[in-house]
Amino acid sequence: MLEDSGFDSVAIGPAVDTFGGAIGEEKARSFDVYGYAFMARRG
Amino acid sequence: MSQDLLVDVATLRSQVREKYRDVALDPHGTHHFHTGRPLAARLGYEQAVVDGLPDHAVESFAGVGNPFSLRRLQAGERVVDVGSGAGFDSFIAATQVGPTGRVVGIDMTAEMLTKSRATAGDIGLGNVEFREGLAEVMPVEDGWADVVISNGVINLCADKQAVFAEILRVLRPGGVLQFADIANGRPVPIEAMRDVDLWTG
Repeated sequence: MLEDSGFDSVAIGPAVDTFGGAIGEEKARSFDVYGYAFMARRG
Repeated sequence: MSQDLLVDVATLRSQVREKYRDVALDPHGTHHFHTGRPLAARLGYEQAVVDGLPDHAVESFAGVGNPFSLRRLQAGERVVDVGSGAGFDSFIAATQVGPTGRVVGIDMTAEMLTKSRATAGDIGLGNVEFREGLAEVMPVEDGWADVVISNGVINLCADKQAVFAEILRVLRPGGVLQFADIANGRPVPIEAMRDVDLWTG
């Protein structure tokens, strides 16, 4: 979606266990939800 | 409308406002996500920087990643923080860009804006300000920003194409978008994606 929106040089960081130990952990686990850092440049 | 939206925009915004009003007013209450200093440590923020901020600058932090992990901001950069909440990432950004830089935080929740503005005054940061606005319609002029940051906000917007188009508008050519957000490794059933309650809870 980033490239379709006019960005390039897209980079993605490693997954972070954002919800581990939180109330929302079970729901996050059911869909393999993790946090990520993204970077892109306006083309 | 630039895409077939899965949920009603106004309903989703209302629920997001309600959720984050609670985070602003009761940061230590019961939320389905972590908040505050424990969350900042979990997401890998520099401990010394976080330790240097007062509690009210950190306690309502509810991001999902670290938008500074792939690139540190440079001195003098002009930064827009989309969905700035109580201001935690904006304050981090303000320290990185220094006195010659500038940070504009944008948020749609009144209680978050009240809190972030009060904290900015308390800290005495003269290079950060907070404006009321939506991710899809930001009160920032075309091409003003060197960098746009965001943390856990775009996933809460129904029309992501509109958000990215707006970010593109406020960025100068060659400007950088660095943000953190959640992504799922397994497909979410379409009926769940159309359930607005699941977007925020």
